[in-house]
Amino acid sequence: MIEVAGLTKRFGENIQALAGIDLTVQPGEVVCLIGPSGSGKSTLLRSINFLDVPTSGVVRVAGKRVGFRDGVGRERRLGGREMAAQRAEIGMVFQLFQLWPHKSALENVILGLVEVRRLSTAEAARIGHELMAKVDLANKMDAFPEHLSGGQRQRVAIARALAMNPKVMLFDEPTSALDPELVGEVLAVMEKVASEGMTMVVATHEMGFARRVADRVVFMDQGRIVEQGTPEEIFGKPRHERLKRFLDRILV
Amino acid sequence: MDIDFGMVIPYLPILFKAAGMTIVITVLSQAIGTVLGFFFALARLSDIAVLRGAVWTYVLIFRGTPMLLHLFYVYYAAPAVGITLEPFTAAIVAMSLSTTAYNCEILRAGLQAVPRGQIEAAQAVGMTWPRILRTIVIPQALRVIIVPYMTNFISHTKGSSLASVITVPELMLTAQMIYSSTYRAIEILTAAGAIYLILTSALTLAQLWLEKWLRYDERGLSSRRRRQLLLAASGNG
Repeated sequence: MIEVAGLTKRFGENIQALAGIDLTVQPGEVVCLIGPSGSGKSTLLRSINFLDVPTSGVVRVAGKRVGFRDGVGRERRLGGREMAAQRAEIGMVFQLFQLWPHKSALENVILGLVEVRRLSTAEAARIGHELMAKVDLANKMDAFPEHLSGGQRQRVAIARALAMNPKVMLFDEPTSALDPELVGEVLAVMEKVASEGMTMVVATHEMGFARRVADRVVFMDQGRIVEQGTPEEIFGKPRHERLKRFLDRILV
Repeated sequence: MDIDFGMVIPYLPILFKAAGMTIVITVLSQAIGTVLGFFFALARLSDIAVLRGAVWTYVLIFRGTPMLLHLFYVYYAAPAVGITLEPFTAAIVAMSLSTTAYNCEILRAGLQAVPRGQIEAAQAVGMTWPRILRTIVIPQALRVIIVPYMTNFISHTKGSSLASVITVPELMLTAQMIYSSTYRAIEILTAAGAIYLILTSALTLAQLWLEKWLRYDERGLSSRRRRQLLLAASGNG
C-alpha cells in the first residue's frame, strides 16, 4: 500500500533528516515508528503525503507515485490540483491536532467532504454524524475546538481524516501533546480504526500501543531505519545496541 | 464677536452633501485599496522574487511619502505627461494608491499570522490553495486584521480632507468656503469636526461589532447553520 524507496531529506546544508529510507507497508498493516526525537519519524510521515518534499527517493501510495507524474523521462511535479487529489487519499493526524478554530467540531469533520468531495452539506453532515459517534463525540458536534479537551480535539482530528475515506492513515505522534490521562481515549479510537483494517503508520512514544496494536515496529535513529520486526522481536529481543539503549531509557 | 451655533443650521444641507462626498471618496478608495492591497499582500507572500520585490518597493514609496503629495502628483504633475484627470477621479486614484500600501501590509500581517499547521491540515484533507485561502486562511486572518484595518480606515477617512487641496467639494473644502464668506470659522469648523467624528464613530462601532462577530467560539453556530447540520442526523435515523 505504501512503498518508500531510497528516501532522503535535507533541510538546508547541514541537517540530514532522512538518510535513505526503504519501507514497504502492506494493505491493512499497522506500522509503528519509534525512535528518539529528531530521528526522522515525522519527516518520513510528512514525506509520504508530500508536506515535506523529499530531496531524493520515491514514495508510492496505492501504486501511485506521490508528488510526481508517473512515467518515463524527466520527473515532473504534480500540479496543485492533482497533488490535492492525491493527499485526499492519505489521512493525516498531527501532534498538535490542527483543528480549525473557526469551525465547530462537526464542521471540521465535514469540510473536506464539502470542499473536496463536493458533497452537499446534508450528505456530508450525515457522514459527519456517524464519524463523530464513532470517535465517541456525538454530544460534542456543535462545540468549537477551543471548548474541547486535548483528547477530544485529537479524536475530532481523527474523524476529520477518516471522513475522506483515505487509503492509509498517518499519525504523527498523536498523543505526545496530551495530558497523560487523555492518552488512552485517543489510543482506543486508533485501535478501533486499526481493527477495521485501515493501513496505518504511527509515529509514537506509546510503547504499550505499539506492542498491542502494531503488526510491525520500526526503530529509527538519525534518519535511518536501524531495526524492524514484530513487537515481540523489537521489545523482546532487540539486536542493535542503539535500540537496546533506547528501550532501556524509555521503558523504565 | 458672539458665537452663534444657530447660524450653522441653514448651511447643514450643504455640509451634509459635502459629507456625502467625503464618504464616497473615502469608501471608494478604501474599497479599491482593499482589493489591490489583498492581491499585493498575496504577491508579497508569493514564491516569485520579482513580484515580492515590486510590491515591497511600492509599499516603501507609497507608505513613505505623504498622501498630500500623491494628490498633487496625480492632479498637478500628471498632466505634464498627458494624463489629465478631474479632481474627483484624481482624488480616487491618489487616495487608492496611498491606502493600498497600508492595506497590503495589514492584510499580509494577517495572512502570515495563520499558523503553518492550519494550512497543512487543510492540505492533508486534499484542499487546493484557493479553497484553503477562502475557507481556512482568510476567516482566521480577519481576526488579526480587523483592528489595524479599521484603524487605517478611520485614519483614511480623516485623510480624505486632503482632497480639498485639489478642489474636490468634500467636507473640509466646503467648510472652508462657508467660513470664508461668513467669517464664522468657529461654528462651521466645529460643525465639520462633529460630522467627521460621527463618521469615524460609525467605523469604531462597526469595528466593535465585527470584533464581537469574529469571536466565533463565543458566538457559536447560527441557528440556521445548526439546523442545516442537524437535519442530516434526523434523515439518518
